[in-house]
Amino acid sequence: MLKDLAEVVRYRELLLNLVVRDLKVRYKSSVLGFFWSLTNPLLQVATITIVFKFIMKVTIPNYSAYVLCAFLPWTFFQMSVLDSATSVLFHSHMVKKTYFPREILPASIVLSNLVHFILALGVFFIYLKLYLRTDILITWLLLPVVVFIQLLLNTGVAFFVSCLNVFYNDIKYVATVVLSLLFYLTPIIYLAEQIVYSGRVPAAYKPLVVGIYNVNPLSFLVTAYRKLLLPGYNAAGIHDIPLNYWYLALAGLTSLLIFIAGYAFFNSKKWYFAERV
Amino acid sequence: MEAIIVEDLHKTFRLSHERIGSLKALALSFRRATYEDIHALKGVSFSVEPGETVAIVGRNGSGKSTLLGIMSRVYRPTSGKVVMNGRVSGLLELGAGFHPDLTGIENIYLDGSILGLSRREIRKRFDAIVSFAEMEQFIDAPLRMYSSGMVMRLGFSLAVQVDPDILLVDEVLAVGDESFQQKCYEKVREFQRLGKTILFVSHDLKVVRDVATRAIWLDSGSIQRDGDVESVLEAYVESTRSGAPDAK
Repeated sequence: MLKDLAEVVRYRELLLNLVVRDLKVRYKSSVLGFFWSLTNPLLQVATITIVFKFIMKVTIPNYSAYVLCAFLPWTFFQMSVLDSATSVLFHSHMVKKTYFPREILPASIVLSNLVHFILALGVFFIYLKLYLRTDILITWLLLPVVVFIQLLLNTGVAFFVSCLNVFYNDIKYVATVVLSLLFYLTPIIYLAEQIVYSGRVPAAYKPLVVGIYNVNPLSFLVTAYRKLLLPGYNAAGIHDIPLNYWYLALAGLTSLLIFIAGYAFFNSKKWYFAERV
Repeated sequence: MEAIIVEDLHKTFRLSHERIGSLKALALSFRRATYEDIHALKGVSFSVEPGETVAIVGRNGSGKSTLLGIMSRVYRPTSGKVVMNGRVSGLLELGAGFHPDLTGIENIYLDGSILGLSRREIRKRFDAIVSFAEMEQFIDAPLRMYSSGMVMRLGFSLAVQVDPDILLVDEVLAVGDESFQQKCYEKVREFQRLGKTILFVSHDLKVVRDVATRAIWLDSGSIQRDGDVESVLEAYVESTRSGAPDAK
């Protein structure tokens, strides 16, 4: 695996060029050009604010900020998985005719989505400062750590999905269905605390349910973004549970393992792609 | 030291009759799918000295492209060994990494990095690439505005600028109009003068006679004849006439 990584480093210019191409092609054909990347998160901010403030009438102050704070990393995950699913097939002409480390294809998709995510986070910070007037928190400094952990997770899953889709081309549909379920199972439009304080979950099962939410890197990471970027919230029946750094370390470890497993799986199959695409 | 060593190379492609290409098909396949193994290469061995220009001839489906594919590391051999000593440029397809929405300039950098050139190396060769392709006027226009001949010219021009020690070419020399083809052959001759190793697949026997210093005749995955161009071509042409290509 280290030899494969060294080969990726040798081909880093190709990786960079593919990321730049992906960004360029995406914005070149649209009228708004590069600003489209900012309009998209802005529209999401606006929609989520309207829905939760005026339609759902959630009592927790600034609830839309908490939703958005989890929604942006969720979008990063979702787009990385969906876009990378077809990445090898999309580049079949390259795969069939030229040598290069195949993992560059899904990796470039994840990286170009990382760029979108960082741009969206920029918009989010402006929204926090100008609209909500939140204070700058010292925990913002930990943001790169969480982003890096998520990058490992996304890339690992992208390796699995992109590789499997070469051999079973309905994987991308399966991924779409699984992701739409996962959206509701991940604390995005609700808070992780709402599970902990829920009266509906029988006490006997509660440690299990809460445990699943804490051990699952995706649900823990979106919660971690909230804890780091936003002040704690206290509303009727819900008390803020501060970020558990042991669990963050665990999420880092799990994500690393998913990355290693995904990469090993991808490597074991990648030289058969040319025969299948 | 040889430029290329190929030792007892085998390649088997697995062709399934009911190809299971989806989870749905996998779930619905009650019995095991029947496979057929296609032996594209059956124990091919040869070696090439630096400076040789080797033409590979043979009918369609004889394994020529598979051989070139393995040498340029697109496929992995089923068994056997390939050693390439030096920088390899595989011309299996021109402009494999081109994207229609990007300009000629952007595509040069993108495709160049697929061929293994660094940004600095491309910048150094940029003028040579553009002028060889005769593209000065259109280089900042998006590729979709180009004619297919222009795309091919740009692809070829880029590929020869990689400055390889070993050039692998699959039937792509015949691009562009008469005068551009002339330029391509001049480039090949220049490579020969510089002592580079060239291995190419061609159906155009006139080109083989003009350019090659040695020919290998491949049929159903094994070498039928290997040697000087005239005698190999004579045997090959003879076999296609008699309609018994497998005859040794």
